[in-house]
Amino acid sequence: MLRTAIVSTLLLLGAYAAASWLTYDFQVWTDEGARRLEVALRPVAPPPARVEGPRVPGAELTALLTEPGGVTIADFIYTDCQTVCLTLGSTFQQLQAALQADAAAAGTPAGVRLLSISFDRQRDDPAALRAYAQRLNADPALWRFVRVPDGAQEQALLRRLGVVVVPDGRGDYEHNAALLVFDRSGRMVRVFDLAEQQLALDYARHLARQAGPRIGS
Amino acid sequence: MNRLRLEPWLGALLLTLLLIPTVRHGMEASMWRHMLVQAPAWMWVGALLAAALPSRACAMVARWNAYGIAGLIGAAAVLAVLMVPRVLDLALLRADVESVKLLALLGAGAALRLSWRPAGLVLQFFFLGNMLAMMVVVGQLYIDSPLRLCNAYLLDDQARLGRWLIGVAALLGTAWLAWAFWQLVRREAALALQQAAS
Repeated sequence: MLRTAIVSTLLLLGAYAAASWLTYDFQVWTDEGARRLEVALRPVAPPPARVEGPRVPGAELTALLTEPGGVTIADFIYTDCQTVCLTLGSTFQQLQAALQADAAAAGTPAGVRLLSISFDRQRDDPAALRAYAQRLNADPALWRFVRVPDGAQEQALLRRLGVVVVPDGRGDYEHNAALLVFDRSGRMVRVFDLAEQQLALDYARHLARQAGPRIGS
Repeated sequence: MNRLRLEPWLGALLLTLLLIPTVRHGMEASMWRHMLVQAPAWMWVGALLAAALPSRACAMVARWNAYGIAGLIGAAAVLAVLMVPRVLDLALLRADVESVKLLALLGAGAALRLSWRPAGLVLQFFFLGNMLAMMVVVGQLYIDSPLRLCNAYLLDDQARLGRWLIGVAALLGTAWLAWAFWQLVRREAALALQQAAS
């Protein structure tokens, strides 16, 4: 009986250790939660990826993110989307309005920019992205739209940033939509839920202020 | 006796089948198959392979597994940890997590087989009372969650898994109750026969 008790205790300790490892000490239960925690602890630099879109004739994503002018809030989208991306669209419209108000109040450009990256490179050519941007009333100075034309680079980017896209079999995609905040050096430093829009904005503003005086563009 | 000798071979055959990459990926292509086909299949293989243990090894295991308690606790621990939604995503992304998951399922199946009879009805009831309740709770959570708990799977897949988890739990519970009832009836009948004889 003593031996059984010893084995049982060891088994329970093993399970506890495994569960604790899986959940970062019982803080997260899903892989999405773990991803957000990991990013907050260790910023992620995107792999090399050439992007293009309206007003972006072809540039390295990192170059786009490190352009003078501030930090970036990014999201992943596809323009055909009828569900969560519509929410993302309106979230970004509200962010844009807040940033425009910031700029008007301060008299200088806001230190935060918006970037929507399409993961549907086949359908979302620059023309489709331009139409989508117009539909959302995007301010081209503040909010840009790009796709990654190279399939391998696109996959590497999605994987590194922890974006998982699942085709739903009806021509649409389900994906872990979120607000990704990149700092001035182009590293993803935080991932916020769609519901945490205000938090993401405040964090990005804070980051923009923290990084020293803004460089006018 | 014959059946016992056949079982390890059946287990080995099934294991080879499950190890084929297409079969494995097919089972992991949807959330409900991942949890309700792959997991039971690997546990079944574990149970079949456990039949290959020589009786001396069985006796040794039994010394460390009084009333099957250690085995049931081990199996319960494996199943509980594997219910964490992150496991499903990680198993798809990382080969090491996938291997540990599959080995743990093999072990849980073997442990259940070696522990079920020694445990007796009371401990079996305790084990199932915990496991099936956990399955129902997790199932309800999967049905109700408006968010996807696994990045790799679709929301309706998750809800379907939830409904199946509850259905399987209900089925297993009913089956065990019927079996336990039958056992008790048989035992009483044997007892009555004994008393009548003496």
